[in-house]
Amino acid sequence: MKNSTTDSRANMTVHTLLAACLLAGIAAQPVLAQTASAPAAPALVAKPKPTREVPFKAPNLAALSHEPNGAEILYGYRLMTQTRKLLPHNVGAAMNCTSCHLGGGFVPHSSAFVGQNVLYPMYNGRAARVVSMADRINGCMLRSMNGKPIPKDSREMKAMLAFMAWMSKDVPADAKVKGAALYKISTSIKPDPVRGKAIYAERCAACHGIDGQGSKNAKGEYVFPPLWGPDSFNIGAGMARTYTAAGFVKGAMPVADSLHPPTGVGRMSASARPPEGGAQLPRGVERSEEGGSMSDQDAVDVAAYFSHQPRPDFPMSIYDWPKGGAPKDVRYCLVSLGNCTPAEIARAPKPPGGK
Amino acid sequence: MSVTNKKSRLHYVSGFLLIIGWVGFAQASPRFSPQEIERGAYVAKVGDCIACHTAPGGKPFAGGLPMPLPMGTIYSSNITPDPTDGIGKYTFEDFDRAVRKGVAPGGKYLYPAMPYPSYAKVTPEDMKALYAYFMQGVKPVAQPDKPPTMIWPLTLRWPLAIWKWMYASDDHAYQPDPKQGAQWNRGAYLVEGLGHCGACHTPRGIGMQEKALSASGADGSLFLSGAKVENWYASNLRGNGVGGLGGWSVADIVQLLKTGRNSTGAAMGSMTEVIHHSSQHWTDADLEAVAIYLKSLPADPNKPRAPQPVAPAPQPDLHSVGSLAYAQHCALCHQNDGEGAAGVFPAMASNPTVESRDALNLIHVILAGGQTAEVKGIHQFTMPAFASVLSDQQVADIATFVRSGWGNSGAAVSASEVAKVRADIAKTH
Repeated sequence: MKNSTTDSRANMTVHTLLAACLLAGIAAQPVLAQTASAPAAPALVAKPKPTREVPFKAPNLAALSHEPNGAEILYGYRLMTQTRKLLPHNVGAAMNCTSCHLGGGFVPHSSAFVGQNVLYPMYNGRAARVVSMADRINGCMLRSMNGKPIPKDSREMKAMLAFMAWMSKDVPADAKVKGAALYKISTSIKPDPVRGKAIYAERCAACHGIDGQGSKNAKGEYVFPPLWGPDSFNIGAGMARTYTAAGFVKGAMPVADSLHPPTGVGRMSASARPPEGGAQLPRGVERSEEGGSMSDQDAVDVAAYFSHQPRPDFPMSIYDWPKGGAPKDVRYCLVSLGNCTPAEIARAPKPPGGK
Repeated sequence: MSVTNKKSRLHYVSGFLLIIGWVGFAQASPRFSPQEIERGAYVAKVGDCIACHTAPGGKPFAGGLPMPLPMGTIYSSNITPDPTDGIGKYTFEDFDRAVRKGVAPGGKYLYPAMPYPSYAKVTPEDMKALYAYFMQGVKPVAQPDKPPTMIWPLTLRWPLAIWKWMYASDDHAYQPDPKQGAQWNRGAYLVEGLGHCGACHTPRGIGMQEKALSASGADGSLFLSGAKVENWYASNLRGNGVGGLGGWSVADIVQLLKTGRNSTGAAMGSMTEVIHHSSQHWTDADLEAVAIYLKSLPADPNKPRAPQPVAPAPQPDLHSVGSLAYAQHCALCHQNDGEGAAGVFPAMASNPTVESRDALNLIHVILAGGQTAEVKGIHQFTMPAFASVLSDQQVADIATFVRSGWGNSGAAVSASEVAKVRADIAKTH
């Protein structure tokens, strides 16, 4: 394990440098753009903030055949749901996009893909620059997938972007989709990881394993992703932060815990709707509109427990939030805060832009 | 979550009351030994008396559970030892006659919703223990029985005597089959008698009678051959390879009854209640006896034979409308390869519910969802209800896809079949 981590880190370094060069090319800093080796691209301009909210309604995958680029979109869907299998050289963890974006981005409150595309390019505080959807995907590849970026001109990236565009096809350009983002948990809630450990054992371990190792099927393929350990997301991932993880837990976990369908397709038209009560059962647990069956405190406790377990490092993360504004649950030192040791700085690759 | 919590809290409370009642009464009139009462409590658990004789949220055994019948609704009776509203004044002979022969004191015939044709087989020893439990182990509740909501002449009880004469005239206790071993005989006694499995799993005839009360006799092959109950299909428990228990081992059957699930799937519908109230509490020896007996039942010859096995396709093709709808709505849990996750999400491949000849359970669970049985120490999982988000055609597409994918051999499902199940479910809720 140690060797493989070192290897992938070495590989990652090369790729990160490459990516840094590419990123520099599109950064909104003309000086850097001129010095970068990649051809100069027009500076990204952030989309204006959405002015209204629309209800969550995912498009119908079964209607893909009506799309002229249906095959490409479908390939994008496959890449999102079988990422590790289809992109073995880019994914370093035992994760798929769908590990966090449940169901391939169709499920509310789990960073659903519905409506994401219309929000990009978007200013990203962690990178302190405007990022494209492709940049955002590669951010996940580096951190949540503990791997390497996908080349922007590859068939795979184009298919993922086509899928993302299709997932927003019914969302107006000035709108934000209600319930697509993670549930917002107040950072004033104090985590109790000891209590979190007990909640984990009771509510999470059946699928993710008592030691966070995930679980595999008879063929040895992961069915539930590991929440910590060498095959999990690295410390730079959003999910490694207490309140981001808590938002995910609150809104989307555990699955199979509610009679409310998780797929967020919205209700059918009135004419096609079943008679009142058709979907009711005398017993069952209802997931509320805002979140799941755990309290905010439960979610914070359990998230503090699993997010802080040992996981792969991401040395580059010390250059996150270069212009400040880091959330308080960031669990690594930051150069911008001046709290990194010389050793931590020494083992990180050069910052983006070669400063 | 809160609903489950409330419910389980209720169980704790009722269990607590039961203990108080038990202690109080055992001390008040020590007619029966604690051992006898305890044995009777187990007999009552196996007989699952509580399931029908307790209303939702009501006191244990105080009755009042509505049972809708085509001619009106009847309510289960109060069988606590309350002298006025319950059965406190019953002698053992009264009690035995009511439970095993369907006749209450005063010659009042019981509705055969009470499975007395099966209980007729209960041995005198078990009846005595059961009597001890209901007299001294159960807390009396002053709660009068609710009259049935039927109009005259349906309220007359004497025609029930004719029913009994026609369909349940044999009221002998279980006679062991000397050709079989003790374990098989214990299993037969539990299945045919106390456990009254046939009440749901045996098809009923024109007079609502179970077409067979045991595996022997002219209609013996219909015993436990599967029947429609409350918009679910109570599975065929005979040896059929498709839709029956032919593919299950003794251990698979024991595991399902003990935990509500096994490697092929999870119990849904009313069976979850049976597991919750009754079978999870059976001794391992009794569960094994039941499984051995069930495994001895030959396949029902009227049902289709298992087709030649088809090599399972490793992945859904993601091209048919059904496979894409499955990917969007189902694969999150049941996985793209239909293999689910052991102990969590039932696999679609080789799942008897999925490929059963009658697709009722599959359609029902997609529309209305369901919860796995509430079993001590086992996490309860919920299947969401898709009735409000999927059209009849979409449900039909998904059902057809899972019934034919991964080597399954179930026939296609039409939108009109789904529409009918949807309407039937809506009627009962």
